[in-house]
Amino acid sequence: MTIHDPRRAGLHPAAEMYAAEHRAGRLSRREFLTRATALGVGSSAAFGLIGLPAPARAENHMPMGGTLRMEMETKALKDPRLADWSQISNFYRGWLDYLVQYEADGSITPMLLESWDANEDATQFTLKVRQGVTWNNGDPFTAADVVRNITRWCDGTVEGNSMAGRMSQLVDAETNMAREGAIEEVDEMTVRLNLAAPDITVIVSMADYPAAIVHSSYESGDPSENPIGTGPYLPEVNEVGVRQVLVRNPDHQWWGTEVFGGPYLDRIEYIDYGTDPAAKLAAAESGEIDITYQTTGDFIDIFDAIGWQKSEVVTAATLAVRFNQDSPPYDNKDVRNALQMAVDNAIVLELGYNGRGTVAENHHVCPIHPEYAQIDPPVHDPAAAKALLDEAGFGNETFELISIDDAWQAASCDAVAAQLRDAGIQVERQVLPGSTFWNDWLEYPFSATEWNMRPLGVQILGLAYRSGVPWNETAYSSEEFDTLLAEAMSLADVEARREVMAKMEKLLQDDGVLIQPYWRSLYRHYTDKVQGAEMHPTFEHHHYKWAIAS
Amino acid sequence: MIRFLLSRLLTLLVTTFALTFIVFFLTNLEPSLEKIAKSEIGTRVSDAEVESWLDRNGYGEPMLVRYGEWLGVVPGWTHTVDGEVVAGRCEAPAGAVEAGAFCGIMQGDWGWSTVFRRDVAEIIGRSLALTGKLMFWVMMVMVPGALILGVLAGMREGSKLDRSLSTVSILTTATPEYVSGVVFIAVFASTAVGLRWFNGSATSAMEDATFENFTLPVLTIALYGMGYIARMTRASMTEVMTAQYIRTARLKGVSFPMIVLRHALRNALIAPFTVIMLQFPWLLNGVVIVETLFNYKGFGWTLVQAAGNNDIELLLGVSVVSVVVVLLTQLISDIGYVYLNPRIRVS
Repeated sequence: MTIHDPRRAGLHPAAEMYAAEHRAGRLSRREFLTRATALGVGSSAAFGLIGLPAPARAENHMPMGGTLRMEMETKALKDPRLADWSQISNFYRGWLDYLVQYEADGSITPMLLESWDANEDATQFTLKVRQGVTWNNGDPFTAADVVRNITRWCDGTVEGNSMAGRMSQLVDAETNMAREGAIEEVDEMTVRLNLAAPDITVIVSMADYPAAIVHSSYESGDPSENPIGTGPYLPEVNEVGVRQVLVRNPDHQWWGTEVFGGPYLDRIEYIDYGTDPAAKLAAAESGEIDITYQTTGDFIDIFDAIGWQKSEVVTAATLAVRFNQDSPPYDNKDVRNALQMAVDNAIVLELGYNGRGTVAENHHVCPIHPEYAQIDPPVHDPAAAKALLDEAGFGNETFELISIDDAWQAASCDAVAAQLRDAGIQVERQVLPGSTFWNDWLEYPFSATEWNMRPLGVQILGLAYRSGVPWNETAYSSEEFDTLLAEAMSLADVEARREVMAKMEKLLQDDGVLIQPYWRSLYRHYTDKVQGAEMHPTFEHHHYKWAIAS
Repeated sequence: MIRFLLSRLLTLLVTTFALTFIVFFLTNLEPSLEKIAKSEIGTRVSDAEVESWLDRNGYGEPMLVRYGEWLGVVPGWTHTVDGEVVAGRCEAPAGAVEAGAFCGIMQGDWGWSTVFRRDVAEIIGRSLALTGKLMFWVMMVMVPGALILGVLAGMREGSKLDRSLSTVSILTTATPEYVSGVVFIAVFASTAVGLRWFNGSATSAMEDATFENFTLPVLTIALYGMGYIARMTRASMTEVMTAQYIRTARLKGVSFPMIVLRHALRNALIAPFTVIMLQFPWLLNGVVIVETLFNYKGFGWTLVQAAGNNDIELLLGVSVVSVVVVLLTQLISDIGYVYLNPRIRVS
C-alpha cells in the first residue's frame, strides 16, 4: 500500500529541477526527497521523478495488539507550541497529530494535510486539508482548525513559543502576532498562506515537534488533561518522572488506518530511568523494557553484546560547545577563535563519541543538509591558539567548561578541555546533573548543548543563530549574518542557496561562534519482537508504525 | 508517662518547626526562586519577566509571610487583576480561588509539587507506600538475620564460630550501600559476570515485587544494617552469658540450647531492640542511595528529585515526614525499653 495522495497532474517546476540535480549527482537521494516533498510532491511521485520505486510498507505482516515498553524520560507536559523536548511531544503524539511528518528517509509525508502547493518563488502555499478526519470527540477536522493552529503558532507574545520563529514570514513584526491576511481560509478544506518573503522552510517546520494540532477547546497548559485530538491513542497514566502510558482509543476511528494501516499496539508504556545509561542497561537485562529511546556511547556495543537489535540513523544532530558572547571574556572574538583553534574536532569525535559520526566544521551546517557548501575546514594549531590568547591578554585566564552529566556529552567536553590544557590554556570542568543543567542552558558562559537535527540547514541557523531568537544560546548577533540568512530562506534553487550558505558558514567560523566537533549517528536498540520502531533522526515516535510480536 | 509523651510531642513540633524553617529559608533564596521561575516559563526570559512571574505566583511576598502561609497561620496569597482574583494559593473545591482563606500544613494542605505537577500529599503518599514496601522486606530479612548472627556469635565468645560470624558482620557494616549495591548488580544481575540471578533494576517492583526484581535492593539495605545489629546483639549476648544466673543454670544441669533459648535470649534482646528502632533513621539514608541506584521511585528517590529541582513544598513535606519518622521511632524505642527492662522508668 502506498500513501493515499490524489496528486494533481502539475508538479512543482523546482521539483523537476531537483530531480535533474539528483541525476547529475549534486543532490543525494535524501536531500532530493526532503526538498521535493517540501514543495508538495507526494513521496511516491518524488521517488518516481528519480526513477525509483516507492518503498513498500510491510504492514500486512504486522502483529496486532500487545504492549510496548520504552525507556524515556517522562517530562511534564506543556502547551505543544512551548514544548522544548522531543520527549514531551512523543507522549502527546499519541492523541495529537501533525499536518505533515518528517520521515527517517528525509521525505515529508502528508498527515492532516492531504497535499500542498507552492507558487514559483515560494511566497504562497496552498494547503489542502485531508477529507474525512474527525476529532476523537466527533467534531470534523476542517480548514478552520488549520487556520486556528497556525495562528496560535504565530503568537510571539507567548513566552517561549518557538513556533513563532519558525513561522516568521507569517508574523507581523509590530504586533508579534499573525499578520493580517497571512493565513487565509479559502474554503472548508483549503487554506492559503501568504508569506511576507519567500520561505522554503514553512512546510518542513510544520513537521517539527512543537507543531502538534490541538482542538478548538484547548487553550493552554497540560494537553493530557482534556485529551481531545485526532490521534489513535489516549493518555492513561501521566506521572512525571515515573511513567506515561498511552492506550488505544477504542471509541475513535483513526483516519490514518485506511491511509497507512496501523496502529498495531494496544498500549505504549514510557518508563523513566533518568539519564544514567547503566540504569537503562539494567532495565533491559531485567526485561523491564523492550526498546531504548536512544543508546549512546559505550553502551551501543554493550547492547549489541546482550543480543538486542541495533537501529542506526545518520543525522545532523550534534553537540554545540558554544560561547555566550554576552559573558566576558567570550565577548572577545580572539578568545573564541583561540579556543576553537586549540581543538582538533576529529580527536573529540574519537574520544568523546567513539568515532560514531562525522567530523564537523564549527558552523553547524551538515553535509546531509541540501544546501551544505564545502568550505575550508577550521585550522587546528595549538601553538598559534596560545599565542593569540596571550596577545588578547587572556593567557592566564581560567576557562570553565560546563556540561550535563550525560556520558557522551561529558566525555566530549573532557576531550575539548584536555586539548585546551595541552595547548597551555587553563580549563576547569563543571558537570551538572540533568535536573539543574537545563535551568540555565542559555546563560552559561561556556558550555555544551545537545542539538537535534532539522531537515534543512537554514532552519537550524534560523533557530539558533539569528539575532534575538529564543534559542540563541550564543548571543550571536550579526546584521550581516541575518541578512544572508533571510536571503537564503528565499532561494528555492539549491545551488543559489549554497552560495549564500558558503558565506554564512565562513562567517560563523570566523566569528568564533562555537566549537562544533562532530555530527552524531543516532542509535536505538530493541528486542527481536519489536517491529517498525527504527530510530528516527529527529527522535519522532510514529506510534502507528510500531508493533510487537507476542 | 503522660508528661513524658507530651514533652516528646513538644520536641517533635519544635524540631519540625526548626527544620522546615531552615529548608524553607534555603529553598527560597533568590537564585533558587529564579530557577523555579525559569523551569516554569522557559529558560530564556529576562529578569523583569522572572520578577513578574514570581509576583504573580505568590513568591514575591516576604519570606516569613510565605512561611506563615505554608504553616497556615497567614491567609494564602492571591493575585488580582482589575479587582478580580485570578490566582491564589487556596483553591476552593469548585476550582475558584478563595481570598483570605488559610491553607497551610495546619489545615492539612501540604501544597503543590512543581516537579511532579501533583499535590504534595499525593506524591508523599505514593512514595511512602513504595518505601514502606521496601522497608517491610528489609526488616523481614535484616532483623531475624541479625539476631541469629548475633546470638550464635555471642553464645560462645572467642570460638571459631564467633570469629567468623563477627568478620562477616563487620564486613557488611563497613561496606556502604553505594559500594555493595554496585557490586551486587555487577555480580548477580549483569551479563558481565553472567550469573543473572536477579534484576539490576527495581522499577517493575513498584507494581509487582517478585523475588527477582526485589532481592538486590532489599539485600543491599539489609546487609548494611544487619552487621551493626548483629554486633550489638553479640555484645549483649556475651555479657548475659557471663552472668551469675547463667552459671547457676549450667550448674543445675540445664542443657546449653535450653540456657540460650530460655534464660539468655530475653535479656540479651533488650539492647538490640533499641538499636533496631534507632536503625530506622539510618534506613532513610540508605533508601536515598538504593532507590536512586535501582530506580525505585520511593521516598528517597523523591527526595533526590525534589532537592535537584528545588521543589520547595515537596522538600518541606519530605522534611516533615522525616522528622516524624525519626522522632517517633525514638519514642517507640524508649517506651519499648521500659517494658522490656522493668528496672528503668520513664521520666
